[in-house]
Amino acid sequence: MQKVLSDKKTILLLVLPGLLIYTFAILFPIILSIYLGMTDWSGIGKPNFIGLENFKKIIFSDTTFWKSLRNAIFLALAYVFVQHPIALIFAIMIDKIGGKPEKVFRTIFFIPCVIPVVVTSRMWVSLYDPQYGLINKILDFLHLGFLKQQWLGDMKTALISVIIICMWQGFGWALLIYYAGLKGIPEELYEAARIDGATGFKLYTKITVPLLKPVIKVNFTIAIIYALKQMETVYLTTNGGPGDASQFLANYLYIRAFNSYQYGYANAISVLFVIACLAVNIFFQKIFKSENYEF
Amino acid sequence: MSKRTLKVFISVLLVTVMIVSLLAGFQGTFTASASTKKTVEIKFFSNLPDRTSNQGKLEQMLIDSYMKANPNVKIKVEALQDEPYKQKFKVYVATNQMPDIFMVWGQPSFFLPVMKGGYAAEIKPEQIKNYGFKTSSLKDFMYNGKIYGLPRNTDFMVLYYNKGLFSKYNVKVPTTFSELLDAAKVFRKNGIAPIAINGKDKWILAILYQELVVKESGDQKLIYDAISKKSVSKNQILLKAAKDLVELVNVGGFQDAFVAADYGAANNLFAQEKAAMYYMGSWEVGMAANPNFSDSFKKNVDATYFPIISGGKGKKTDILAWHGGGYAVSANSKVKNEAMKLLLYMMHPTRWAKIGWQQGLVVPGQNWEKFMTGKETVLQKKLTQIFSSATSVSGTVWQDAFTPNFKTEAETLCQMLVAKAITPEKFLSKIEELAKLEVK
Repeated sequence: MQKVLSDKKTILLLVLPGLLIYTFAILFPIILSIYLGMTDWSGIGKPNFIGLENFKKIIFSDTTFWKSLRNAIFLALAYVFVQHPIALIFAIMIDKIGGKPEKVFRTIFFIPCVIPVVVTSRMWVSLYDPQYGLINKILDFLHLGFLKQQWLGDMKTALISVIIICMWQGFGWALLIYYAGLKGIPEELYEAARIDGATGFKLYTKITVPLLKPVIKVNFTIAIIYALKQMETVYLTTNGGPGDASQFLANYLYIRAFNSYQYGYANAISVLFVIACLAVNIFFQKIFKSENYEF
Repeated sequence: MSKRTLKVFISVLLVTVMIVSLLAGFQGTFTASASTKKTVEIKFFSNLPDRTSNQGKLEQMLIDSYMKANPNVKIKVEALQDEPYKQKFKVYVATNQMPDIFMVWGQPSFFLPVMKGGYAAEIKPEQIKNYGFKTSSLKDFMYNGKIYGLPRNTDFMVLYYNKGLFSKYNVKVPTTFSELLDAAKVFRKNGIAPIAINGKDKWILAILYQELVVKESGDQKLIYDAISKKSVSKNQILLKAAKDLVELVNVGGFQDAFVAADYGAANNLFAQEKAAMYYMGSWEVGMAANPNFSDSFKKNVDATYFPIISGGKGKKTDILAWHGGGYAVSANSKVKNEAMKLLLYMMHPTRWAKIGWQQGLVVPGQNWEKFMTGKETVLQKKLTQIFSSATSVSGTVWQDAFTPNFKTEAETLCQMLVAKAITPEKFLSKIEELAKLEVK
């Protein structure tokens, strides 16, 4: 057996299926996408090669592209600076509660993640409804009627409303990953810190957060990729509207390809989209480059 | 296991896998060729997934009756909603696997590339000699003087309204734009949404804009000409119409957050009698008989012309009307003749038009007045009257008359206009920019 497995031909034979799948499912589409990005293909008929025309147009004159990218970055920032701190605090609280309530809360917070995005998005559309929606009703009840908004229908509130939905939908995942990270920190470390005189808040800033660094890094990276890829929620709530106020890259790309029949252009967007994702991730890898704690 | 036996084992395994997969491939071709001899299978691609009401019901009825009359024909229906339909259609085109008969939108933004690409089979005029299609209704299904598709419906825009709500609040059904604004104010005051509209879908806003342009100018061609000649931004009538639209928004003429409301939401608002009016096309004719709606609503629903504008040149009978949906046969179909027979069977005036009209399912593409029985619903009668009194019709609406990207962008601009993200002046200059880019 050992001999067979070290035979070069066998190795090739065994690696080949994986290699083929990788080539045809990943490598080939990417190359094709780059090629199509340099054409004016409409999806019907033959593509004409137009060089970097699409890329130029996107970078220099497509305001919606930049707005979509900006919105995606807003969403990423909202994840990192709003959703994640809250998720971490909740993870710590759940961890501290212990016993049965711990399981109950863990489940409750994770429920939104198991419900299909279609369902939760429609639910939020109902909540936001200016006539029947719960949010405006509650504001009325609290005599805060002046705060009532046409949430998804107003240029000023559409983006933030969509971001809130996204944060809510992804909250369970963020929480669960932090929670799992917390479970991995040995209790002795806290004890040792306490003996050294650390208490309360300091315990968290000096022990928990530094030790969670790898988890935070993973969680941030996931959040940022998720923000850039955001499509379903936007498509199901505002479809980028009003105008392009709440447009996101993936949804914009989709509209270009399937509504405008500009497959070439949409492919060019997708190439830039991949580059943007890579750039943001490299940036984050750099930030978190410092040493990891061993325990 | 010795090295030799293992090698043999691996080889046998690989060969088996290869043979099995090859056979699977062959099997497909064998069954396909065998079936053409005995029974014919026609692939039917439709945009009507609901097979139990409205047009979908009619389509399925005709397919079933055709299969009954021709036992050797098996029709396989694949039905998807509009958007997924358009996507899958593209996939079929790209992979050259067009279904034998498929639904098309008779709009240059959809059907023209299909006709140009040679994907649709030609329909000879003598084949549809007694079918009652007017040449004008075939216009957008023709390319280079040849017919490639048949329209199934007549689509036109009307203002549906709720009689009950108008009499309850003592409001006159508007015949002029200023009466419409006044009515809107009264309904607003009483917590009723004046006009329900699906602003998230955008296209309806572009159509409404065109309606206002026609009512201002009395000239159906104006908007198309202005775009073709790229002289949009200086046109005072186009500007006035854009301002009218914004004014309607400013008085609260539509339900709250109407830019985020989709088709179903707007339709429900009207059907639940929470909105007094509903700007929509004739395809909603079935509302008056829809078993899902309340009796009170069905008793109260009515339709009228879109109001004229005092000072404008348009008459109430200048309406927006076109032939949207239709069918075509694939040019490369293996069962082209059979598919064509099916198409001609379905579109025969005694079938789609007569059955569809008499069951209150559609407003057909062919003349339907000869099929009237007197048992029509209020909406059927009103719509017939509105359409037959038309003094001019628009044809394909403006945003669909050019390229697909023109449509997407123009509709988005209309939404930005009503969301007040851009001013009417900016709206027009943006449309002009777009025209320069997209219209050759």
